[in-house]
Amino acid sequence: MMTNNKNFQIQRIFAQNESYLLLIIIAYSIFVTFLNPSFLSLGNLFNLSKSSASMGVLAIGVFVVLLSGGIDISFTAIAISGQYIAVNVLIASGVDNIFFAFLISCLVGVGLGAINGLLVSYFKIPTLIVTLGTLNVFHGLLLTVVGTKAVNSAQLPDCFKAFGATNVFTLTGPDGVSYGLSIFTVIFIAVALLTWFILKYTMLGRGIYAIGGDAEAAERAGLNVARIKFFIYCYVGILAGIAGVIHVSLIRYSNPTYLVGTELSVIAPVVLGGTRITGGVGTVIGTILGVAMITLLNNSLILIGLSSFWQEFFTGLIVAISVSFSSYQSRRGIAI
Amino acid sequence: MAEEFLKIQNVSKSYAGVRALNKVSMSIGKGEIHCLVGENGSGKSTLIKIVAGVVKPDEGEIIINDKTFKHLRPIDSISEGIQVIYQDLSLFPNLSVAENISLNQLIEEKKQLVNWKEIKDIAEKELSNIKKEIDLNERVENLSIANKQLVAICRALIQNAKLIIMDEPTTAITKKEIDYLLSVILDLKKRGISTLFVSHKLSEVLQVAERVTVLRDGKKVGDYNADELDYDTLSFYMSGKKIVSSAFSYEEKPGQKAMLEVKNLSKKDDFKNINFQLKPGEIVGLIGPLGSGRTELALSLFGLNKPDSGEIYVDGSLVRIDSPQKAINLGLSYLPEDRLNQGLFLRQSIQNNLVVTILKKLLDRFKLLSYERKYKYAKEWVDRLNINTPSLEVAAQALSGGNQQRVVLAKWLATNPKMFILDSPTVGIDIASKNNIHNVIKQLAKEGMGIIMISDEIPEVVRNCNRIMVMIDGSIVKEVKAVDITEDELFDILSSSQKR
Repeated sequence: MMTNNKNFQIQRIFAQNESYLLLIIIAYSIFVTFLNPSFLSLGNLFNLSKSSASMGVLAIGVFVVLLSGGIDISFTAIAISGQYIAVNVLIASGVDNIFFAFLISCLVGVGLGAINGLLVSYFKIPTLIVTLGTLNVFHGLLLTVVGTKAVNSAQLPDCFKAFGATNVFTLTGPDGVSYGLSIFTVIFIAVALLTWFILKYTMLGRGIYAIGGDAEAAERAGLNVARIKFFIYCYVGILAGIAGVIHVSLIRYSNPTYLVGTELSVIAPVVLGGTRITGGVGTVIGTILGVAMITLLNNSLILIGLSSFWQEFFTGLIVAISVSFSSYQSRRGIAI
Repeated sequence: MAEEFLKIQNVSKSYAGVRALNKVSMSIGKGEIHCLVGENGSGKSTLIKIVAGVVKPDEGEIIINDKTFKHLRPIDSISEGIQVIYQDLSLFPNLSVAENISLNQLIEEKKQLVNWKEIKDIAEKELSNIKKEIDLNERVENLSIANKQLVAICRALIQNAKLIIMDEPTTAITKKEIDYLLSVILDLKKRGISTLFVSHKLSEVLQVAERVTVLRDGKKVGDYNADELDYDTLSFYMSGKKIVSSAFSYEEKPGQKAMLEVKNLSKKDDFKNINFQLKPGEIVGLIGPLGSGRTELALSLFGLNKPDSGEIYVDGSLVRIDSPQKAINLGLSYLPEDRLNQGLFLRQSIQNNLVVTILKKLLDRFKLLSYERKYKYAKEWVDRLNINTPSLEVAAQALSGGNQQRVVLAKWLATNPKMFILDSPTVGIDIASKNNIHNVIKQLAKEGMGIIMISDEIPEVVRNCNRIMVMIDGSIVKEVKAVDITEDELFDILSSSQKR
């Protein structure tokens, strides 16, 4: 009985999407390293993890929504609103503090997320329609009320630039070039860990899985479905707020028209990571691997020498393939 | 008689002036297996909801464990040990067996954090209590329906169930699985836990229950011991009508050739080596449990499921049926099992539904649809099949099940088929309408149509067919004339081959 169980577990590990994805990532890394040996240097890997952190934090948020059987596409508008408002408030108030920036950006995020949450949980409007609408409402409001003028590097408060340059530790390579692990990566890992803990070890998290499985059954079982949904959209809002600040600190430029339009490139890694688009199934680790894969792909296209326009093509292709793949699996009754 | 666990006394309930329940009383003993039967609209669901505390009765009282409740709330019902397992089971397909069993308990305890060991322990203990083994880590969506039911039962037991009410538990499971479920129920009985089955399938009611309560039009017809009932008396109690169904008599005309012949037809995973003939005027019954391949075979004959090998002859010549259009041209029609999804445009009018198969015949000389002809055709079929409707413009979804089925029948009959495959033609239809449809089918056969009737109800095939083919696991295991077999013998064949 026990050994039997073990066998089952081993089988299950191999049946999981995540293990396939990991194998693909490893194989692909070897392939790219062959073409361009500079790819597999620690410096490049640190760089990749730094530049993908903002996308990663957003992806974690999208993952949680997808898990509950919903979808949020307004997160880019929330992220850019949080960022742009934070930057403008810091400039106007003269307070040059990154924590203050995070506070404002997250407050904006949770506020806008709460609007989504209310519409979804209390008025029971389909999530795609709600967030398609609020995406435009949030962004439109930002552009008309707050402004359309980009804040360039010279005008940007110093705290963002300093934050963007902060490394947790720094190493110096044999060639004398120093590189380090960015604080962005640490934030991404912290967000991932927190989300993993919520999903795995709190009733709230199990409730999210339950709603994604069968919302009516969740209601009958006594879960407060409306409240859980409300939480989810607020959580996405907060994560979008965090991602917004990381984004501006990375590129040292705040343009209120950025980010919006890149929804698919954030949804892609989540779906690629094995999260079922109909909800209920998915893991944090899968999402992280998905982010890694997409980042790898985008980065390697440039290393290989393909135009960056191919990124869009491949992102779309990946979403189409991974959604078809999981639908094919579930139709054939194969457990993923 | 055993001690009573639940007593319902003179309970009435009206919805918007319509009496759903009229002074109904019944009782369930401790450890008793009780069946509540009645046709659609007889008040079964209302009664369950009242026992669950979800619906408040207008009058009457409910006594659980000698405690009298005038206003039973859901929480009272649960804490007194009543657990309802609804037809959809309310499980989480994406979660593990262990979590499904334990989650409600954790919610009830208002836990904030999750202890995975606790979840496993709770589930393991309860599964061992009912002496069944299911992999605790398996996702529920990968389980068979029977195992899903076990998970639902375990979940109910954890919440200290004394009475488990199962709403139509056997609709989608095979006979073997019904037996399995029954073994669990019998085990619960030993532990003093009562079960109330709610069902409208007569044969299984008689097999499972100790006592049977029959409801009709919101009133109780009576309580009976299961061994004093048989199919006919039970259907009489349920419908209130003595249904006289004359057996179908078919006289073979000498020298008559088969209009349809199937030779060695096989399709991997569906059916293998199927051989049979159909002559004009015959009604051939194809009986087999869910998953036996009966529907797949029918779909193959109608060009919707390409067979791997074998031959089909129509009127003596070899044909390849690779599309429904081709099947229709060869004179075949098919009445699907799931008439709501496959057979009707629910929101369209009856008139539009009736003529959809013969639109070409309704064109006028400008090749435009003639409303006059459309009306004429539709009217003709409504009259011929006694479809009960206030007007031809009523949407199909407004009709009763029996009338809907007649619309689907008429729609296909309008194409003038020579052969008609009927897949479960009376499923979910009340007894009187069933009889009516059977008479229509027999009349069609008398007029020379060849009919294949797929069913999983033994009396239906024995009483309406001249020949019966039994299909198990993709093969026809027996072919017999209806007059040469009794319902009991057929039952034995079906259940013995199931147990193999």
